[in-house]
Amino acid sequence: MTAAAPEPKINMGQPVPRYDAVVKVTGRATYASDMPLADPAYAFLVTSAIAKGRIDRFDLDDARRVRGVIDIVTHENGPKLKESKLFSNGGYAGTTIQPLKSADIAHDGQIIAVVIAESYEAAREAANRVKVSYTAAAPSATFDSPGTTIAAAKGQNAQFKEDPKVGNFAKAFEEAEVKLTASYDTPTQHHNPMELFSTSCAWMGDELVIYEPSQFVYGLKYGVAEQLGIDADKVRVVNPYVGGGFGSRGSMTPRTAIIASIAKRLSRPIKLVPTRDQGFTITTYRAETRHEIKLGASRDGKLLALKHEGAEISSRPDAYCVGGTKTTTRLYACPNVDSLVSIVRADRNTPGFMRSPPEVPYLFALESAMDELAVKLNMDPVELRRINDTTVEPIGGKPYTSRSLMACFDEAAKAFGWAQRSPQPKSMSDGDWLIGYGCAATCYPTQMGPAAARVRLQRDGRTRVEIAGHEIGTGAYTVVAQTAAERLGVPLEKVAVFIGDSDLPPAPVAGGSNSTASTCSVVMMVCDQIRQRLFKAAMPSQSLTDKAKETVGIGQTPATQAAKGDRPLDLEKAFDALGVGVVEEYGEWKPEGAPLDSFRAMHSGQVRLVGGHAMKDQIAYAFGAEFVEVRVNRFTHEIRCPRLVGAFAAGRIMNPRTARSQLMGGLIWGMSSALLEATDIDERNARYVNDNFADYLVPVNADVPGVEVILLSEQDDHINPAGVKGLGELANVGTNAAICNAIYHATGQRIRKLPVRLENIEV
Amino acid sequence: MSDKSSSKASAFDRRAFMVGAAGSALVPITARAAAGDTSASVAQDPALPVEVTLHVNGKDKRLSIDPRTTVLDALREHLKLTGSKKGCDHGQCGACTVLIDDRRVVSCLTLALAAEGQEITTIEGLATDDRLHPMQQAFIDNDAFQCGYCTPGQIMSAVACVKEGHANSEADIREYMSGNICRCAAYPNIVAAVKQAAPEIMKG
Repeated sequence: MTAAAPEPKINMGQPVPRYDAVVKVTGRATYASDMPLADPAYAFLVTSAIAKGRIDRFDLDDARRVRGVIDIVTHENGPKLKESKLFSNGGYAGTTIQPLKSADIAHDGQIIAVVIAESYEAAREAANRVKVSYTAAAPSATFDSPGTTIAAAKGQNAQFKEDPKVGNFAKAFEEAEVKLTASYDTPTQHHNPMELFSTSCAWMGDELVIYEPSQFVYGLKYGVAEQLGIDADKVRVVNPYVGGGFGSRGSMTPRTAIIASIAKRLSRPIKLVPTRDQGFTITTYRAETRHEIKLGASRDGKLLALKHEGAEISSRPDAYCVGGTKTTTRLYACPNVDSLVSIVRADRNTPGFMRSPPEVPYLFALESAMDELAVKLNMDPVELRRINDTTVEPIGGKPYTSRSLMACFDEAAKAFGWAQRSPQPKSMSDGDWLIGYGCAATCYPTQMGPAAARVRLQRDGRTRVEIAGHEIGTGAYTVVAQTAAERLGVPLEKVAVFIGDSDLPPAPVAGGSNSTASTCSVVMMVCDQIRQRLFKAAMPSQSLTDKAKETVGIGQTPATQAAKGDRPLDLEKAFDALGVGVVEEYGEWKPEGAPLDSFRAMHSGQVRLVGGHAMKDQIAYAFGAEFVEVRVNRFTHEIRCPRLVGAFAAGRIMNPRTARSQLMGGLIWGMSSALLEATDIDERNARYVNDNFADYLVPVNADVPGVEVILLSEQDDHINPAGVKGLGELANVGTNAAICNAIYHATGQRIRKLPVRLENIEV
Repeated sequence: MSDKSSSKASAFDRRAFMVGAAGSALVPITARAAAGDTSASVAQDPALPVEVTLHVNGKDKRLSIDPRTTVLDALREHLKLTGSKKGCDHGQCGACTVLIDDRRVVSCLTLALAAEGQEITTIEGLATDDRLHPMQQAFIDNDAFQCGYCTPGQIMSAVACVKEGHANSEADIREYMSGNICRCAAYPNIVAAVKQAAPEIMKG
């Protein structure tokens, strides 16, 4: 076992290598822009140089003269596309701003023309020769910019139903012995997955194939069909591998239908590979947020009053928000809670979900405030969490299905060496370096969505699993293969998995950390349908359901079952009894509490996730605790983060290898959100300034010397058949607070605005 | 081998490249421009295709391409070798890293014409006879990738990192692998993979 493949504990699967490992290390994994096309023409986007106003005129003469140019598409000759509603309002789109529709400009970097040419080089040159005359108006860029508007999220965002409240906050806060009021800011961030936002479209007659990195092939299929006004059965989205998503590919962007319609018009496959900087404005991003937290506590550390107000930026037409108060008002025991989320509209592209959308900004505020309260109380911050730990969320009084928060704190504290911390700020150093230790809690809602799968078993044990899930790096192929192998008792190497294709049975969006829970639950169910058929044929006298439940293996019997005397079914005999060569089953699964229209929605590209705080009688979250060491140079103020330690509990761990890797990457994301990542905005022009990998800082190898991930055993039988909570978005939450808490410990300076750069340190 | 790479090294520093591009490199471009056009029209239209022979993974590949085509686009769009990835097209992310005469270069910032006559090795040329290269195997063993998009570039960079003698400590590996961004942040696993493969690569 290497560090990458931890020994499984109770309720964990085997740390087998990734299903897609060999194709990924040999360059044979075909991402969207790798797909072969017959004689494609190349598209290059032209984007707006102003953030607000109108296009007066295009001068295309110079561009048209470039050898190899085929067509230049603008709003004057643009495709006639139908509108799609925002995904949160029953549509598919991540923005309702529709480029190439009129001369109006809604944000900087909006698509205003598409150049089509015989080569990428010619398309790029011609795009650079497109001249545009604008009438520009002064845009509103962000918070405090003149011309922005603010209003409560409730009532304008259909998915933000309630500002959680309980008890009497005002009275309790007034009477509390210890009080804290503090404000926190988080910056704009862009997902920047490694794969660019490419789109290739090819028509065969009236059938359209789209190669595009997507976290939701069914949503894209139905969304593009709606915009083109064609039958969705004519649209197929294919992407067996996706070069990272992080939320950026969950909802439809305008580019896809535009490229599809140009391909139709030119009767030729079109390949678009936008540039890295265009990716900042043609998709979504994590909006900047502002928070005010008020905490009131007794001298012994009991929380008595908690108020969390958050404000988020969105675009003019779309009321997107993440509304993380649903989590922060329920994390700790507190009898008096108040909250409010507001949306501030500016002249920006519409934001969207980015890895742990609500929890990254909102827990930064709460977990920083908890540390500040611990300082006021002269109390160990771990103990403050222990005093306010709860098994029941305070807003609706619903029990957590399972909650291992303090077990995570204790395990991580031990591994980190928290006991060696001297609590006074500026009390630890090593030469020129001030040393700080900090910690924070993390949590993420357990979510599931309706899903379908088809499984085919042959008499020699060869198995084929089909489900339109998404491999965005999470290990989707691997855990589906493991589930089928385990459930059918066939060797793992006999299982073939097909995902990332809208011709396969539908699965939910690869977002909200629901994929493993949803896809493994449905694959288990369909494998059971196969087992039932086989047992019925082979042992007609037995009670089928009972026998099928008892006997795990078909071809093989796992050791635990063999010890109990169970014997596997003889596969060949069962097939002979059935008189067939192949058994194939299709099934649809929906989680408990899923709405009545779940399956209809699933078959039209709509998302119906359930779970988290929205369950009827309980609340389901995964938990973790994170500890960090920071070093701040007392002369240069350089900040380094040599150690990140996290312990996590997330129900059944399907594969400790892929789980550890995701959590490890998450911890590094968390460090990055504290110390590196921010999209800078030119406030005069409402423009992203650092829209490239040299200026938008993401971690490189030298930034992350020591990362330790501890997986805790946890069993939860109340969430879904797979017992999986999901952990792709668990580890990058709270890390930002832990780092600021550590910087406070190192320097005595409390930093409430991210990211923290050396110029912000005033030692 | 080491002789060859050190003598070629100067051709790839920025200054030498600029000199080359302004002087000698332009001559063969115009000279090879498609027949039938006058040299005046060639000067006006840099998009006329030129003939170039690239030596990729041990085979000569003859192409007629836009002279502005990068090695990366030549591989991906003309030779159907899509293992090398485009992540930024600006030399900032390393996803397009290939070996040219055993040196790691970002193929998105290298013109195909400038690579003529040199040995280009891509991720597709690393495994021999269906046997994985030790670095490829080490990446699997240590789960050194998630989405896999940066992986071909990471592996090519890692092979060169070892051969350069920059894999002698974890700190060295971290430093000399920092030109390749992994947004999934598999970094600690990448370090472990390079460490595992290094002795075998140095031996063989």
